[in-house]
Amino acid sequence: MKEICAEDIKDLCAGAAFLATGGGGDPYVSQLIAERLLTRYGPAKLMPLDQVPDDFHVVSIGMVGAPTVTLEQLPTEDEAVKAFDAYQTLTGKKIDAVIPFEVGGGNSTIPLTVAAMRNVPCIDGDGMGRALPEAQMMTFPIYGVHPTPAVLRDAWGNQAILYCNDAETFERHVRAMAVTMGGMITSAEHGMTGKQARTAAIPQTISFATALGKLLRAHDGIIDAIEGDIVELFKATDYGIVRRLYTGKVVDNERKIVGGYDVGSATIQSFDANVAPMTLLIKNEYLIAKVGEKVVATVPDLICIVEQETSLPLNAERMRYGQRVTVFGIGCTHHYQTDKALKVTSPRAFGFDLDYVPLAELERAQ
Amino acid sequence: MFVPSLDVELVTKMKIGIDVGGTHTDAVVMRGLDILATHKALTSSDVKQGIVEALDTVMSIANLDAADISAVMIGTTHFTNAVIERKELSETAVIRACLPTGSGIPPMCDWPEDIANSLGNHFYMIKGGHTFDGREIHGLNDKEIYTVLDDLITKGIESIAIASAFSPINNSHELHIAQLARAKIPSANITLSHEIGRLGILERENAALLNSALGGLAQNVVSNMKAALIERKIKCPFYVSQNDGTLMSADFIARYPALTFASGPTNSLRGAAVLSKLDNAIVVDIGGTTSDVGVLANGFPRESNSFIDVGGVRTNFRMPDIMAIGLGGGSLVSQDGKLVGPSSVGHRLVKEGLVFGGSKLTATDIIVASGHQQIGDAGHVSELAESLVKAASATMHRMIDEAIDKMRPSDEPVPVILVGGGSILVTEKLNTASEVYCPEHAGVANAIGAAIAQVGGEIESIVSYSKVKREKAIQSATQAARDKAVKAGADEQSLRVLDIEETPMSYMDDNAIRLRIKVVGDLKQVKYS
Repeated sequence: MKEICAEDIKDLCAGAAFLATGGGGDPYVSQLIAERLLTRYGPAKLMPLDQVPDDFHVVSIGMVGAPTVTLEQLPTEDEAVKAFDAYQTLTGKKIDAVIPFEVGGGNSTIPLTVAAMRNVPCIDGDGMGRALPEAQMMTFPIYGVHPTPAVLRDAWGNQAILYCNDAETFERHVRAMAVTMGGMITSAEHGMTGKQARTAAIPQTISFATALGKLLRAHDGIIDAIEGDIVELFKATDYGIVRRLYTGKVVDNERKIVGGYDVGSATIQSFDANVAPMTLLIKNEYLIAKVGEKVVATVPDLICIVEQETSLPLNAERMRYGQRVTVFGIGCTHHYQTDKALKVTSPRAFGFDLDYVPLAELERAQ
Repeated sequence: MFVPSLDVELVTKMKIGIDVGGTHTDAVVMRGLDILATHKALTSSDVKQGIVEALDTVMSIANLDAADISAVMIGTTHFTNAVIERKELSETAVIRACLPTGSGIPPMCDWPEDIANSLGNHFYMIKGGHTFDGREIHGLNDKEIYTVLDDLITKGIESIAIASAFSPINNSHELHIAQLARAKIPSANITLSHEIGRLGILERENAALLNSALGGLAQNVVSNMKAALIERKIKCPFYVSQNDGTLMSADFIARYPALTFASGPTNSLRGAAVLSKLDNAIVVDIGGTTSDVGVLANGFPRESNSFIDVGGVRTNFRMPDIMAIGLGGGSLVSQDGKLVGPSSVGHRLVKEGLVFGGSKLTATDIIVASGHQQIGDAGHVSELAESLVKAASATMHRMIDEAIDKMRPSDEPVPVILVGGGSILVTEKLNTASEVYCPEHAGVANAIGAAIAQVGGEIESIVSYSKVKREKAIQSATQAARDKAVKAGADEQSLRVLDIEETPMSYMDDNAIRLRIKVVGDLKQVKYS
């Protein structure tokens, strides 16, 4: 079986930060803790999604909260593994494999650290293929996996167990608990069989993020030079389309923590004075990109931002006045193109009076 | 931030800029943007003597009396170099108040081993710090703090950095720990992380650690600088340039030496802009061992967006975006000419280079062999194969072209300004350059940059966006920062916003924000009739 070892973590984190579409927490923090834990406990086994046996007990594990919190409130060593243990104790059933909520940001590495510490495989796949702010937006509930029981742990060792009727209620409760429990918690949730996981998860995203990160890091120069390589890399996957939407300088960025999310907007000004500024609307992740009044990309398609000069992904909480950035639009995987999925992930699901129009169609309309 | 208060009247007189680098000390006398005298000498190991000599030379060239001088600006790489070379760093401990959070990433865990060892690897994590909404992660326990302090006393450590989670929003835990530490160890040199960095505890803690570790050296360097001026009876204000191109007072630098990190490249880029009268260009500063490639955008260094490594330690200072490549006048050249650098004979060029009678083939030897320069004895390189000379020269130009290509804002050719002693290496066309400038006085660009260093104004306030509209709050804070800078001697026309930082403080009030705005501008120039 393929393995992820400490040496792979920098690549994975860079790729995951790109796919995080601005959210997912500080990638450096998750990189450091994953490197430390995989060095100490050895590599994590990575199981291809199509090889997961039918009767496997699979549990999803990751962190929930406002990414800005992770800049200051650094993780403990054992929060995640204690949530794993508590979940086993609660259900009385051995966990055979773990899977990330999302490949975006820090949540891509947490299940790997648990896998290494408890010697179970981590599945090469996830429940978003990117990062999204809310639990009901994961492919797991969209494909019928029930989110609870869920075990929530904070850094202080407090623990909460949730049973909820549906994914929307779970999201509301888990968010309230995250705020109450210090802004950032670990959650073990969405228990499923191997058979369910094979339908409900997006395959190969951990290995894809690692390959993407390797490309970005090896380059470490102006993004323009590897744009073609990025397009090629995505073309071979379910994401498909990659488009450069904008290049410019961050001139404004307003965010605040509302109800446990980082919420706000950012403005980017083109170097070409004739081009209208780009506005980004943010809720943990970059959700909508407009140039002037024209919408150029919306969730669930991916809006990914890299620093122009280093090609490294830029998180919303690290965005600052004066940064020079390039904004990409990337198609979502087919899992998000169904009516059922769009009902919970289109701009309307975030309260915007706007329908989802796929990137390719927006482009054709111009 | 310190804002120097300057009497604008004084600015009509001369300014002296001195840049104390690792190898050379440069000095200039300027009136407005006119350069009246320049001087370059090897940096003396005696800080005071080096400055006295630089002062004497330029003052005698320009025929100046001490009373003619309105200000002395000093740029120094002492502190950056001390970190990079792991020299003269005090053994320093960090106390981080964060538990029970944060145990997964202890202080200094991502530091290169050698510098962690130079500081002694002393770190303590204690209960404390705050959450995003202002609650305590844990209350401070004085007993726990005293246990740490007793341990420091046993180990004889008096250099201390203190960091607590979310201290930029609530600094009370850092202040309390410092109070106990000062009472127990009165001679302690303490840096509080909230005074030196912003959100991001790892980088802020690192900056505080380096700052404390440099404390002893800073006292020493500043008192020597002062002594040099006193010896020459210079009584005008004296400033040190910090990394954002603004000035700070000598007493301030003694407490916050880390704020000088990377002031050298800032000064070099600003100096190059003045010399070439170009506002948008790539500046290639070729030294003995490395070349630094930076970008001038509207007359100012383009700042790096990423975290800045200082000697392998990640900090959150904002610094010019500089790409260093291993190419300089002393770079070693391989036998086929395909590899130049990164190994270099550095300042030993004058002994070890072939043209100086040495035995090492260096980049300088190649340029002499190609007939473009007459340095040393060309006879020593007359037998080098023409193919080797051509190949090595092509390699050097390719290296510079590649670096410019990575740094330039677009694929268009850009004006390139060459500065530094190694600029003789460029003898052919650079493919990336629209034009190449080698301005006069380029060798002292750093000192010129120091002499024209800017004045800043910074305002920090807590505002509620529920009560005042955000645009309005930013507008009025910007105006206040501008007023402060003008009062400090800045030319109002030249002021620009350097940084706007908004930190939500949701615990205080719905929508309360800590707003920090920084503007900088040139010292006001008074025209001469």
